[in-house]
Amino acid sequence: MGRRKRVQANVAGEAPARPRATAWQQYRALLAKDVRIELRTREMLVSMGVYAVLVLTVYGATLSQTGNSLDILNVASGLLWAMIVFTSLLGLNRSFANESADGCLEGVLLAPVSRPALFLAKATSNFLFMTAVEVVAVPLFFLFFLAGADVSSTAIWIVLPLLAGTIGMAGIGTFMATMTMDTRGKDVLLAILLIPVVFPLLYACVAATSTALLGVVGQEAVFWRSLALAVGYDVIVIAAAFGLYEFVVGS
Amino acid sequence: MNDERRDAEAPAGRASQAGQRDAAAATPAIELRDVVKAFGSRRALDGVDLRLPAGSFLTIFGPNGAGKTTLLRILATLSRPTHGEVRLFGVDALHDDPEPLRQRIGLISHRSMVYGDLTARENLMFIARLYGVPDARARVNELLELVELDHRANDQARTFSRGMTQRLSIARALVNDPDLMLLDEPYAGLDPHGMRLLDELLDRIRPGRTFVMVSHDLERGFASCTHALIIARGQVVLHGERARLDQGAFRETYLSVVGSLTSDVEV
Repeated sequence: MGRRKRVQANVAGEAPARPRATAWQQYRALLAKDVRIELRTREMLVSMGVYAVLVLTVYGATLSQTGNSLDILNVASGLLWAMIVFTSLLGLNRSFANESADGCLEGVLLAPVSRPALFLAKATSNFLFMTAVEVVAVPLFFLFFLAGADVSSTAIWIVLPLLAGTIGMAGIGTFMATMTMDTRGKDVLLAILLIPVVFPLLYACVAATSTALLGVVGQEAVFWRSLALAVGYDVIVIAAAFGLYEFVVGS
Repeated sequence: MNDERRDAEAPAGRASQAGQRDAAAATPAIELRDVVKAFGSRRALDGVDLRLPAGSFLTIFGPNGAGKTTLLRILATLSRPTHGEVRLFGVDALHDDPEPLRQRIGLISHRSMVYGDLTARENLMFIARLYGVPDARARVNELLELVELDHRANDQARTFSRGMTQRLSIARALVNDPDLMLLDEPYAGLDPHGMRLLDELLDRIRPGRTFVMVSHDLERGFASCTHALIIARGQVVLHGERARLDQGAFRETYLSVVGSLTSDVEV
């Protein structure tokens, strides 16, 4: 519409028809923006990666005195998930650093952006960055602590609980990181809010991972039940976060 | 000057101009009725009524904490009032779908709302995609030229000076060709050269749009407006068309509500 026509329409207060982006187009734009910024700065990936290595180093020191008296395989899944949870917390806290600086999130909210698309884009980018760190950290964990252990041939099945756990952490973590992004002491507050909420997911993922490491044969029911619990948790909390996101970003 | 411009762009003829004015009077750009915004027991806005014709330029003055930014956020659909009615271009901003309204609003804040790690072009392309601007690349190039940042289009925004960042912020606010421009202390932190550039830019983008600007600068804010409003403790103290306001009385009222802050204010 030409400027002259617009002037007439605006002064009269009419709403000129304007093309609008679909939620899918907005999702892609938001995700591409997050990925581009992260690939340029590597802030989240580097901090999460370094933190994961530091956790592994601490594990190395704390487990060095146990010798053979402790079968690491029995506690490996717990140690692995502790590393994932704390590393994810660090990443989730950083994921909104760009948005809160200079009021960028407000600028996005000012646009006619579908709030669920905004949530899904941020959760997807968090999932991608968390997965990228796990791709490096999990093999390192196996290399450092389980190289000589009698790991079951079904260990590869841990990919499934890792996937379900990371999706859940990214989903509910994104939701809660949005709530805490403008608060004082947000680092601690996010941990205080998130860890109790993800406890069922963590419990299910540790159980499924442990079963996979020790051998699924004969324990299939335990593995699948734990995995089903994790997937069910993901569906419920992500659906709730999806529905409540408008309220959270609005307030 | 701006009225002249607007008239120059509108079709000639008294009849059509009168018709437009009638229509504008019938459908104001902004209509607030008894708007209250409370944060706990504190009322940031306390019964604000406002009616602003389309095409006007309203400047809001008031001391810090008077509720100016809260009012602007409600107009931007970023915040909902606790009580009251908000209509923008005749649309109920609280109960109707806000997305078509957001398509018509632009905000320039003292916060730039641009991503420092993206280039100027990437920032504008990102926003253009969120709005679904057709031929986004051409629109972005046009805006970069308008704000004279075309030569720095591929530089990251964090390398920009305050003035350049503010110009990028203006381009960002114009991506969707908004009908309602909201300006929250846009001169904050700018040097005199930056202020002059901003004045020129605002003059260029003014035709056909409704403006609401929050300002502490009485002279600059009063010079550019068609309507002026003073707000204090969440309540409208004085509001009217600039042409009908006694500038001396307006200044006195302003200084009396600003109180102890007068020494910090340019008058």
